[in-house]
Amino acid sequence: MLRAPMTNPPEPSTAGRGLTAALVIAVALILQVSVANRLPLPGDVTPDLVLLAVVALALVNGSLTGVVTGFCAGLAADIIPPADHTLGRYALVYCLIGYVCGMAAAELDRQTFVPFMAVAVGALAGTVLYALTGMLLADPRAAWDVVSRMVPLQVLYDVLASPFVVWAVLRVTRRYDRGDKARDRYAVPTARYRAMSGRSGGL
Amino acid sequence: MKDTRRTRWVLGVLLAVALTIITVDYRGGQHSPLAGLRGLGAAVFGPVERASAAVVRPVGNTVDAITDAPGERRRADRLERENQRLREQLRAGRIDASRYEQLHRLLGSAGIGGYKIVAAQVISAGQGFEETVTIDVGSRSGVRRDMTVMNADGLVGRVTRVGPATATVLLATDVASSVGARLEDSREIGIVQGRGRRGLSAGNDAPLKFQMLNANAPLRPGQRLVTLGSQGERPYVPGVPIGTVERIEKPEGGLTRTAYLRPFVRFSSLDVVAVVVAPPKSDPRDAVLPPKPTPTPTPTPTPSASSTATPFATGVPGRTPSSPLTSPGATPLESATTGGRGDRKPSTGTPTTPDSEG
Repeated sequence: MLRAPMTNPPEPSTAGRGLTAALVIAVALILQVSVANRLPLPGDVTPDLVLLAVVALALVNGSLTGVVTGFCAGLAADIIPPADHTLGRYALVYCLIGYVCGMAAAELDRQTFVPFMAVAVGALAGTVLYALTGMLLADPRAAWDVVSRMVPLQVLYDVLASPFVVWAVLRVTRRYDRGDKARDRYAVPTARYRAMSGRSGGL
Repeated sequence: MKDTRRTRWVLGVLLAVALTIITVDYRGGQHSPLAGLRGLGAAVFGPVERASAAVVRPVGNTVDAITDAPGERRRADRLERENQRLREQLRAGRIDASRYEQLHRLLGSAGIGGYKIVAAQVISAGQGFEETVTIDVGSRSGVRRDMTVMNADGLVGRVTRVGPATATVLLATDVASSVGARLEDSREIGIVQGRGRRGLSAGNDAPLKFQMLNANAPLRPGQRLVTLGSQGERPYVPGVPIGTVERIEKPEGGLTRTAYLRPFVRFSSLDVVAVVVAPPKSDPRDAVLPPKPTPTPTPTPTPSASSTATPFATGVPGRTPSSPLTSPGATPLESATTGGRGDRKPSTGTPTTPDSEG
């Protein structure tokens, strides 16, 4: 049921799923700008919660949801107030990341380490792609020395924060599914959730 | 996967849309036709951010208060809880006191300089490569684009975007920021550029770079800088303290000399700031700088003649600043007093010509 939401899209849960995704993205955005970005972490780099939320949603729901969610989340991240860059850059990057991570979702049950590989690769690709768009647009902030000293820390923080974000997203998705099929609350969350959350806690 | 084609189609369409948005916004620049989209973002997310800041702050205080309680491990539960509550109150009181003190000092600085300010609080911060913050005042409080933002210690940045109840501030440490600056006593001018605070071994000690236009003028660690003031006092008003020279790059025979600055402002913990809504009537010169510390905080107590490396030591800096300490028309904190400041042409952060000093 979780595995194949796209093969039969007109099922009644699609709207609820979209609503859940929108809610997750909105919460991630607000937490990002008003909490995470103000954390006094070493190096002044902060984990990208929105990117992690997009990756998690794509892993759960597949690449079509990943693409749409990524685009919408990116566009919102482009216009949320402290942002000061050319519109559409995060939309482009998160859209691609959502697609790629949605593709990886197919491998989720076969490989145990896929979620964390996906998060790490997504974080790396997201930061680098965003920097590349900046370089294309001659943004002085995306100069090579700035990028090269930021990317390792950014990826590290993203990977460190990923268990919490992925866990929270899975939790929310599971709650929605439980409301969807309320007959047995322990059978629904599927082997994938159990496997993933077990792995999440283990990091 | 059966619907790969559909997914790819959606991906292609959305990528095309994103590229179109980027192109349109980039080509449009300041007058981008997508400015309405940003306005929508400010209108929608601004109030939410204000609300979430109001929620987050007490929670953070509570967490801090809990983690603060030392040596209470074996206490009775009731006592512990009571103790915690008292601590929390005390802490809240201390936070209020510190905020009051920040505001008080801010008013003092603004009064000395003769700036007319609107006080504000930082409610969120930017991510990625950009160093921006959102403050909780907007066009309703009289804030416009390209106004100087300072706090009690010195220059914070300038306003780049304004929403109805929020405004975005580009910090002076951002790589895209450049400020016209002047040395405190020798009056040599130059450009202060941000180097970015982020990343591994970034310029945490010296996130600002100062390029002095006169390569032969004396420059030594410990000298202090104030803003030069832009043309028409937008975006930067004159006389706001920026920072002290920390180290000087070895001269390479270029047209300018480069020094690295330690800012007066602690950018990682910004809280109470002020937007200068009206410039001072006269240049406050060096009056806003904090009183000169007698034991210099910079590690140059030894005779620093060797570190200047100036061929022409004409005017030895270090004399007493000749500026008066008073400034007329100090009317701090009058909010919403920007009548008639229409839309000037948006001047980007580069400083303009030096006014009134040769």
